[in-house]
Amino acid sequence: MNVENVRRDFPLYERRFNGSPPIYTDSACVTLKPNQVIGAMSRYYREFPACAGRSSHALGREVSEEVKRAREAVRKFIGAGRPEEVIFTRNTTEGINLVANSLKLGNGDAVLTSDKEHNSGLVPFLLLEKKGVRHKTFQFGDLGDFEKKLTGDVKLVSTAITSNLDGTSQPAKEMAALAHGNGSLVLLDGAQAVPNRKTSVKELDADFLAFSGHKMLGPSGTGALYGKLDFLKALNPFMVGGGTVKNSTQEDFEMEDVPERFEAGLQDYAGILGLAEAVKYLQRIGMENVERHEQELNGYLSKGLAGPGMAILGDADPKSRGGVISFNIEGIHHHEVAGILHESANIMIRSGMHCAHSWFNSHSMDGSARISLYLYNTKEECDAIIEAIGKIKRLI
Amino acid sequence: MICILALIVFGVLGIFSATHREMALEAFDCVFRRVTLRKCDSGLDRRLKSQITGKLMAKNPAVARLAFRHFELISWFFTILFVASTVYAGIGGYNYYLYGNCNGPNEDGFCIFDPLGSNSKFSAAQADESCSAGPQERGELTLDGVNVELFPRIDRNAANDVVFIGCYACPYTRQSYPAIRELLARDDVDFAFAHLPVKEDIRAASDILNCVNEAGSGKFVEFNDELFSADASVLENEDGLLDAVGRIGLDREAIRQCSHSERIQNLTRLQISEIRKTGIYGTPTVFVNGEAVVGPKPLRVYARLLK
Repeated sequence: MNVENVRRDFPLYERRFNGSPPIYTDSACVTLKPNQVIGAMSRYYREFPACAGRSSHALGREVSEEVKRAREAVRKFIGAGRPEEVIFTRNTTEGINLVANSLKLGNGDAVLTSDKEHNSGLVPFLLLEKKGVRHKTFQFGDLGDFEKKLTGDVKLVSTAITSNLDGTSQPAKEMAALAHGNGSLVLLDGAQAVPNRKTSVKELDADFLAFSGHKMLGPSGTGALYGKLDFLKALNPFMVGGGTVKNSTQEDFEMEDVPERFEAGLQDYAGILGLAEAVKYLQRIGMENVERHEQELNGYLSKGLAGPGMAILGDADPKSRGGVISFNIEGIHHHEVAGILHESANIMIRSGMHCAHSWFNSHSMDGSARISLYLYNTKEECDAIIEAIGKIKRLI
Repeated sequence: MICILALIVFGVLGIFSATHREMALEAFDCVFRRVTLRKCDSGLDRRLKSQITGKLMAKNPAVARLAFRHFELISWFFTILFVASTVYAGIGGYNYYLYGNCNGPNEDGFCIFDPLGSNSKFSAAQADESCSAGPQERGELTLDGVNVELFPRIDRNAANDVVFIGCYACPYTRQSYPAIRELLARDDVDFAFAHLPVKEDIRAASDILNCVNEAGSGKFVEFNDELFSADASVLENEDGLLDAVGRIGLDREAIRQCSHSERIQNLTRLQISEIRKTGIYGTPTVFVNGEAVVGPKPLRVYARLLK
């Protein structure tokens, strides 16, 4: 993978902040967008800005065809069996909420999540507790604890493959096997996994997989939910309306097939085409290359940052943390670290609780600074980060 | 502490910008929490600290280190500085209202509300007799022991007593005259005008003024109106002065003869001698109920001293 060539595709690097390009390392939140993605979105608006699946005119047919191709591209990307198994959503959050609210869970059923979930993987199930659904947690990445908590009442295991907090991953395949052995369904939050390494739903044997487009070069407000076809058919759509029914009378309606029944209202066609283009872009680069690049940079950066006063969250081995380095420097608040990096060296990182408040609160911490690297980051940028953080440490 | 400054600065900027209004609200929340002995949890103080430190770090790491380590102390320093400046600005504004300058009665230091110092300038009363403005030795100004009955005056047995000492030719006296004229228009004021001919070549104006005053009660006011509105060059020749006498309906020849009389010239000398007893150092000097005001002030400054 030639990073310099990759960077040429990203128009943001043409911008200058205080005379130099930004060092963007907040990709676990949102990635930059290549020209190809921007072009695909623009193409929709310029060439066929019409409805898919409804209008029979040329533009309608054209956009329907493009959405079909996009669904196929996403299917291939995650190794799903059939395109109908891919539902376009706005993001991972919507995907998880769709499953949480469409599954027939009731009094006495339990949902098992890890203790390190993003709010999107936690709050929907806390809300279900009001309907009598129990919510249980296991320690993230601890198979023993997972197995212990996997009791007969657990109808759904919902957990992140990779934590957005520290980049650490769980053995999702083994967990899915254990869950299926228990008769539980498995919903995987792939928001931090799908963009960073090759992810196959078949290999994982996931019943559901939710992920976002904006964390993998795609447009904001795009994502997808994978579901095994039979399970999708068994779900009760929780959001219905235009595009979700074949026919209706004053008294009744006939539901559309999967996946349309879950895609209520006019869709973000430009976003869907942009997402498909992002997927193709990543496939051209090769997910193995993306993963290797992140690991190399993480190893280099983690080594450069190590030293007194520096505490990196998660696994000690950088290879286990993908592109994420979540850290605290003793004596200086993480918000201050992020602010100073930005003001002094154009380095953009995230600070705070990263929407994983529950984990930080249970560990009596008020957050961390988080660097998240992606395919467009370079060793030179890592050197700049090491130098800037070195200066910050000397402030204390 | 930085939140207090942020509240004030963003509060002012918030008048013009919605973004700053939100920041001002955040700062207010922070200040309110601190005042109620709770922790400020908005993160605004940290954001400001990191922004300032970061910008400094890009220029000078040593200064950034100093700012970062002593940020709270520096915040306190600037807060105290700000409060002190606000108090001084308030005092300045109060003084400006009362005395026409920020620095107190008859001071002439820089005043932000009157940056050109136009309310505080005066012409030297005796230096080189050229109406020049400049630093003078300043003694106490008083009417004690001064016979104000010698000067042209309007007596109404009023509650207030105004003595206006000025020079026809001097720019700051001329500048002050409209306000003085308004003061004179009030019927609760007794008024005396003491002409101090700072320039020797306008001494004749004092003699003629005395004759005009003798010629008719209150005629000197009309004469003043003429001379303060006339070009200053008119004052330097007798004909010009007598033209003004003619315009107010008096006999110019009679006034001319009167002004050349020994009696009038002695009166003028006596008047100047009385004026000097006030300790005058600049014109205009206006005594309102015995309190001296030096320089051309807005009407409100004189009016405030009236009973």
